[in-house]
Amino acid sequence: MLSCRSLRKSYVTERGEVLAVDGIDLDVEAGRYAAIIGRSGSGKSSLMAMVGGLSRPSDGSVVIDGTDIWGLSDDKLAAFRNRRLGFVFQFASLLPTLQLVDNVALPALLGRRGDADIYGKAATLLARMGLGDHLDAYPSECSAGEQRRAAIARALINDPVLLLADEPTSDLDEQTEIEIMDELLAVNRELGTTLVLVTHNLALAEQAEQIVHIAGGQIAS
Amino acid sequence: MRWLLPSLALQNLGRRKARSLLLIAAVALGSGVVFTGAVLMQSIDRSMAVGFTRLGADMMVVPEGALTNITASLLVVEPTELVLDADALAKARLTSLGRIAAQKIVRVEHSGIGSHHDSADLIGFEPAQDFTVQPWLAEKLNRPMQQGDVILGAARDGVLGSQLLIFGKPHVVYGRLGRTGVGTHERGVFMSFATLGALSEAIGGHGTKPAVLAPGKVTGFLAELAPSATPLQARFAILSNVKGVKVVAGDTTLSGIRQGLAALLDGILALMVLMFISTALMVSVLFSAIVTERRSELGLLKAIGARRGQVLGVMVTEAVLATGIGGILGVVLGVLIMRLFERSLVYYLENVGVPFLWVDLPRTIAFAVGAIALASIIGVLGVLYPAWRASRRDAYDLVRSGA
Repeated sequence: MLSCRSLRKSYVTERGEVLAVDGIDLDVEAGRYAAIIGRSGSGKSSLMAMVGGLSRPSDGSVVIDGTDIWGLSDDKLAAFRNRRLGFVFQFASLLPTLQLVDNVALPALLGRRGDADIYGKAATLLARMGLGDHLDAYPSECSAGEQRRAAIARALINDPVLLLADEPTSDLDEQTEIEIMDELLAVNRELGTTLVLVTHNLALAEQAEQIVHIAGGQIAS
Repeated sequence: MRWLLPSLALQNLGRRKARSLLLIAAVALGSGVVFTGAVLMQSIDRSMAVGFTRLGADMMVVPEGALTNITASLLVVEPTELVLDADALAKARLTSLGRIAAQKIVRVEHSGIGSHHDSADLIGFEPAQDFTVQPWLAEKLNRPMQQGDVILGAARDGVLGSQLLIFGKPHVVYGRLGRTGVGTHERGVFMSFATLGALSEAIGGHGTKPAVLAPGKVTGFLAELAPSATPLQARFAILSNVKGVKVVAGDTTLSGIRQGLAALLDGILALMVLMFISTALMVSVLFSAIVTERRSELGLLKAIGARRGQVLGVMVTEAVLATGIGGILGVVLGVLIMRLFERSLVYYLENVGVPFLWVDLPRTIAFAVGAIALASIIGVLGVLYPAWRASRRDAYDLVRSGA
C-alpha cells in the first residue's frame, strides 16, 4: 500500500545543511494502523510530509497504491493528494473564514466534483464526528477538539486510501485526545482506511499494528 | 466551487478590515486621480482646441514685400500679388514651429458675390490642416466640408445650405463664421484649395490670372509655435532658413498661455503616471505581506489538493476584489470632484465667455471603465509575484513557516 525507499531529506540553513531524514525504507500494508514515533527533531514530521506528497524528498521514492507520487507533475500530485490522501495536522488547520461544512466540503470542491452531494456528505461526516449541529459554525466558534474532529471529517470527504495524522492531539487535553484518537481508530477499523500517525506520545502508539521508531532521521526500530 | 473561492477571497478581505479599507482607499485615490485627470485633460484639450485656436496663429509668414495689419487682434493673411512656394516652410523642417496652415487669397471683383461693385476676398485653405478658420464656425452643415462648399465671413449674407454663384458657378454655403472684428475675416469667402483651383479659369478670364492660383504657390502661412519654442527663436529660425519672407508675430501673451497650458497638461499626465506607479508599488508591498501572513492557509489549501493555479486564483481574486472596489470608489470620487470643478471653475469660465467642453458621455464611461480596469490590473500585478512564489513552494514548508 505504502512503500518508501531510501528516503532522504536535507534542509539548507544558515548553519549549513541539516539532514532530517537519512535513507529510510518503510512499508505499510493496506488497512493497517502504523504509528511513527520519535522525539522532537527526530525527522518523523519530515518523513510524514514526504509520504504525504507535501515536501519533495532530496532523494528516494514514495509509492502509494502503485503510484510513485514524486514522479507525478505538480498538478497531478495535487490531484493525487486531493483524491487519495487525507491529512490531519497538529494545529488548527481549518480556514477561519469558512463555516465547518464549507471547510469539510472544500477538498471535494477543489477536486471539481459535482456540488449536489458534496454538502450532504460533508454534513453526514460532521454528524458522524458529533458536529451535526455545528454545520454553519465558524472555526473560531468551536473548541480545539471540535476543530480537530472537523479536520478529520474534511480528511475523509474524498474517501482517501491513506489517512496521515501528524501529532493530531499534541495541543489537546487528555480527554479530548482520547476522543480524537477514538475517531481516528474508528475510521481505520470501520472504513478500512490505512492510518499513519506521527506522534511523540508512546501511549497513543500502543494501539498501532505497526510501530516505527525514528531517531536521528533513521529508523531505530 | 464557482463561488467558494471568490467568497473566500471576499471574507479574507473582511478579516483585516482596517488594512483592507486603507488599501481600498489608496487605490480609490489613485484611480480617482487617473480618472479625473484623464477626463479633465481630454476636456481641457477639447476646450483648447476650440477656444485657443480661436485666438489664431502665433506667427504669420508672408512674402517680404507684403503689407500686413499688425494692429489686428487676429493674425490674418492679407491679399497680395506676392507669393511663396507652398512647401517653403515644410522643406525648412523648423522644430520651433508646430502646426502650419497655408492660405491663398485672391481679391476679385464682379464675382457675383455681394453687390455688383463690391470686391470680395476668396480665401483658400486646406480644411485638414486648418486651425484658424474652422474654429470660428458659428454654424455649419452636418457633414464634412467638400469641394464646391464655401464658408462665409460674418459680414456676408447667406443662408446655410443655400446656393451661392461665384463667377456663375454654383457653390453651397457650408458654414458661417462668427464675428472676429478683423475685416479680411469678416468679409472673406472661404473655400478649400480645390474649390479655389476650380475657379482659377473664371478668375483669370477677367484679366491677368493671379500668381497665387498657380499650383504650388500660396499667399502666406499661419503657424503655431512648438510647445518649447519662443517667438524670437521661431522668427530667427524662419528668417535663417527661408529666403524672401517676412515674419509677423501675434500677441505673445496668448502664445504664452497656450504653451503654458500645454505644459500643464504634460504635468497632469506625469502626475498620473507617478500616482499609478506609486499605487502599484504600494499594493505590491502590501500583498507581499498578505501572502506571507497567509502562508499556512495557502499551504493547507495545497495540502488538501488545491492546484497551483487555484492557490494563485484565491490571492488574485482577493487582490482584484480589493483594487476593483477601490477603482469603482475612485471613479465615484472623480465624478464628485468634477461636479465641484463644474460648479466652481467651469461656471466662472463660462461666465466670462470662455467655453469649457466636457468629454462626451461614451468617452467618460470608457475612462471610468479604464480606471477600474487599471486599478484591477495593479492588484493583479501586485499580488502575482508573491503569490506565484508561494504557489511554487512545498505545501509542508508553507504550513510550517506560517504556523
